[in-house]
Amino acid sequence: MNPINRFFDSQRRHFEKGGRFEKYYFVYENIESIFYPPPHVTTVSPMVRDRLDVKRFMFLVVVALLPHYAFGVFNVGYQSHLASGLPPDFWPAVAKGLQVVVPMVAVTYAVGYFWEALFATVRKHEISEGLFVSCALFPLTLPPTQPLWQVALGISFGIVIGKEIFGGTGRNFLNPALTGRAFLYFAYPVQTSGDAVWTVLAAGRTAPVDAFTSATPLAVAAATESGSVPQAWVDAGYSTAKLFFGLYPDSIGASATFLCIVGALFLITVGVADHRIILGDILGFLATAGLLNLLAGPGSSPYLHLSPLHHLLVGGAAFGIAYMTTDPVSAPALPGARWVYGFLIGMLTVLMRVFNPAFPEGIGIAILFMNCFAPLIDEIQLKVRLKKRVPNVR
Amino acid sequence: MNTVHLEKGYHLRLTGRPSAELEVLPRPARVAVVPERLPFVKPRLKVKVGDRVKTGSALFEDKRHPGVSYRSPGAGTVSSILFGPRRVVRHIVVDLDDKEAFEEFGPIDRKALEGIDRLELIDRLMAGGLWPLLRELPFRHAAGIKTRPSAIFVHLDNLDPFHPLPSVYLRGCEDLFEFGLRALERAADAPVKISIAKENASTVNGLRSRITHVYTGNYPSHDPGVLLYRTKRSADENHAWFISGQGVLLLAQFLREGRLPTEQTLVVAGPGVKSPRHVRARIGAPISDLSKGRVPAPESRCIAGGVFSGLPAAMDSFLNAGETSLVYLPEGAVSPPPLEWMMPGRDVPSYSRAFLSAFAPPRERSMSCNRHGGLRACIQCGFCARVCPVDILPQLTYKAVLAEEVEESLAHGLLDCVECGLCSFVCPSKIDLLQALRRAREAYYDDIA
Repeated sequence: MNPINRFFDSQRRHFEKGGRFEKYYFVYENIESIFYPPPHVTTVSPMVRDRLDVKRFMFLVVVALLPHYAFGVFNVGYQSHLASGLPPDFWPAVAKGLQVVVPMVAVTYAVGYFWEALFATVRKHEISEGLFVSCALFPLTLPPTQPLWQVALGISFGIVIGKEIFGGTGRNFLNPALTGRAFLYFAYPVQTSGDAVWTVLAAGRTAPVDAFTSATPLAVAAATESGSVPQAWVDAGYSTAKLFFGLYPDSIGASATFLCIVGALFLITVGVADHRIILGDILGFLATAGLLNLLAGPGSSPYLHLSPLHHLLVGGAAFGIAYMTTDPVSAPALPGARWVYGFLIGMLTVLMRVFNPAFPEGIGIAILFMNCFAPLIDEIQLKVRLKKRVPNVR
Repeated sequence: MNTVHLEKGYHLRLTGRPSAELEVLPRPARVAVVPERLPFVKPRLKVKVGDRVKTGSALFEDKRHPGVSYRSPGAGTVSSILFGPRRVVRHIVVDLDDKEAFEEFGPIDRKALEGIDRLELIDRLMAGGLWPLLRELPFRHAAGIKTRPSAIFVHLDNLDPFHPLPSVYLRGCEDLFEFGLRALERAADAPVKISIAKENASTVNGLRSRITHVYTGNYPSHDPGVLLYRTKRSADENHAWFISGQGVLLLAQFLREGRLPTEQTLVVAGPGVKSPRHVRARIGAPISDLSKGRVPAPESRCIAGGVFSGLPAAMDSFLNAGETSLVYLPEGAVSPPPLEWMMPGRDVPSYSRAFLSAFAPPRERSMSCNRHGGLRACIQCGFCARVCPVDILPQLTYKAVLAEEVEESLAHGLLDCVECGLCSFVCPSKIDLLQALRRAREAYYDDIA
C-alpha cells in the first residue's frame, strides 16, 4: 500500500458518520477522489457503466486550457516589458507573467472552491467538477491588471449567482465564468475596460513608453473613422500574424486565436465540445459580417467594411467560440437548436461590435444573452421533433 | 426480406464470449421458479412446502391476470418457498424425484393445429403455463389474452452480451420451430415477423425462407421494440407481441408432446469464466449447478439475462424458463490506481472518445460492475440521446418523468423505450436514467391496468 493510500485510510474515519469532521465529508470526498475514485458499484440495471465520468469530461477542458495559461504567462510578461521599456527577453518575461497570473489563478480557485464546498456541504452532495473549468476559464478572460479583490468578487458572483443559487453545476442556465466576467465589466468598468488595463507596467512606470500601443485591436477598430480597419491595425503595429498568434495587450489568455483553434479541435476530437455550436458560431460571424460588408456604402463607417475573417481573428471571438459557447450546460440540448444558438451568438457579436460603441467586445454579452434563450430554442426544436414521432400512447 | 440498420446503440466488446460448443449438463437435484425476476407478476401461491407436484403442476398464478398460471419445471416435493422483503416471493424450490411424473395436456399434431379454434389454442397454451414467454409491447409484460396484436415479432438472437446463438439452439429443431411459428400465427391471428442479425442469417439455412427482417448494427438492434419503432407507420402497430426463438421452441414442444418441456439452451460466459460456452440444462436449474467449476473468483457478480438488460442473481438462485444467459462480471469494488482518470487511457473501453483507446482499433476488454464515477447532475452532454435506439431524448424525458408530467413523457416516446439500458450506461453523471424511465412506465401501466 502506498503512502497516499495510507494517508487517506487513516484520515477517512474523521470525516465519516460520527467522526470529528463529519460535516466536511464532501470536501474530504472531493480531495480523496482526485487520487482514488471511490469504489462504487452498480446496484440497478444496467450492471456495467461506461468509464467516462464528469471528472474526466471536465478535466479535458482544463487540459485544453493549459496552453492558454502557458501563452498567457509569457504574453503578460512580454507586453509588460515592452511597455515598460525593459528588454523583452523570454525568461524575465515569463517570471513577470508568473508574478501576475499565479496570484489571480490562486485567488480564483481558492474563492471558487470555497463557495462550491460551502454549497456542497450544506446541500450534502459531492462537489461537481464543473467548478474547475469555470475557475480555469475565468482568469483567462480578465485584464492582467485586475485587482485581486475584484478577482475574488467576480468569481464569487459567477459561482454563487451564475450557478449555485440555481442548484449547482448542471442546473445553471448561464455560463458561470462569463457571468463573473460580465459582473466585473459592469461593476468596475474602470478596471476592466479602456486602453490602460491590458498591460501591467513595471519598473515604476505610470505610463507605457511612447512606441508602445496599449489600445487593443478592437479598440483600434472601433476608433477608426476613415480608411480601413486592417490598415489602422497595421499602423498601430498589429500585423495579421500578430493578431493570429495573439501577441498584443489583451486579457490574459484569450487573444491567442491559434491556440483556440487547437483547443477547439481537441475538444471536438475527444467529444467534449459539440462541433455544431462551433460551426454555428462561425457561420453566424461569416453571414452577419458578410452581409454588413455588402450593405456598407462608401460613406459608412470602416467597421462595416471589416471582413468576417478579421472579426474572427481579433479579441475574444475565438476564445468565446471554442470554450464559452461550447459549455453544454448553458447551451441548448438538441442538435438543431445548437446550430441556431451558435449562429445567433455569432450574429449578435458582430452587431454589437459594429453598432454599439459601449461594448468594444460583444461576444461575452452575446453568449450570456443566448444562454437565456437556449431553453426557448430547445423547446421549439423539441416541438417539431415530437410531432414527427408516431404516437405511442395507450 | 427487409434489412433494418441501427446506426445508434452500442456494441460492447466484452471478453469471455461463449464458444459455439454445447455441453449437456447432468440433471440437477432440485429446480425452482423465480417469480422475483418475472416482470409485472404478483404471485398468488397455489402450493405450500411439503406438497407433491408433477412437472407441469401449477405453483402460483398472477394476481393481476387470474388464469395465467406458472407451472412446476419438475416433479417432486416442494421443499422451500423463500420470501424476500415485503413478502416478495423469491423462489419456489422443488426437490426432484428420481422418476418424474408429468401433468398431461394432450398432444396436438400439425393437422389438428390447423383445425383448432383460436381461443382453444390460446387456452391450451395458457394451461401449460408457458404463455408468459409471449410478451407484449409496449410494456413488455406477459401478452394479454383478450387483445389481438398487430404482429408477432420473433427474435432469433439477442445482442445483449451474451446470449445463445440461433445456430446452436436451433440445430436439428427446424421442424419444431416451423410448428411453433404456425401455432403462433394461429393464436395471434396476426403476421409473424422473424428477425435475425445479418452475421447469423447464414447459419440457419433451414429457416431462411421464413425470415422477414435482417438487422445490422449495434445492440439492441435485435430488440422487437427497436424493429417495431424502425418499421411502424401508424399508431395501430404499437400493440404487438414478441417472443424469443427459444420461446417458440418451448411452446412448440409443449403443444406437440402435450407435456411441459424441461430443457433449454443457455450460455455461461463473461470475463474470467473458464471455457465460456453454450450449455443444455434443465429449466429452473440452480445457478450454482450451471456455473460449477467455471467461475473464477469469489468476487464475481452473476447476472441473469445479459449485462445490459439482465438482473443480478444470487448464487443460490435459479434460472426461469426463457432466461438463457448467465454472465459473470468482476464485482469491481476496488479503487483504480491513483490519478488513473488523468491518464491518456490507452486501454480504457468507452463509448465516448475521451480516452486514447477510442483512436486505436477496437478490441475485447474485461469490464466490472464498478460505476466508474460519482453521481452528478446532468450536464447535457447528450450522449444518452445519441445512443438511444428509439430516438428518445432520455435527458429531457427523465426530467419530464421527475416532474410527473405524464402526458409530456408519453409524447417524448416513453412507451417506445425498449429498456436497453444504454442511456444509463453512457451517462458520465452516472444518472440511473433507465431506472427512472422504467419506474414511470410501470407506474403508467399500473394506472391504466
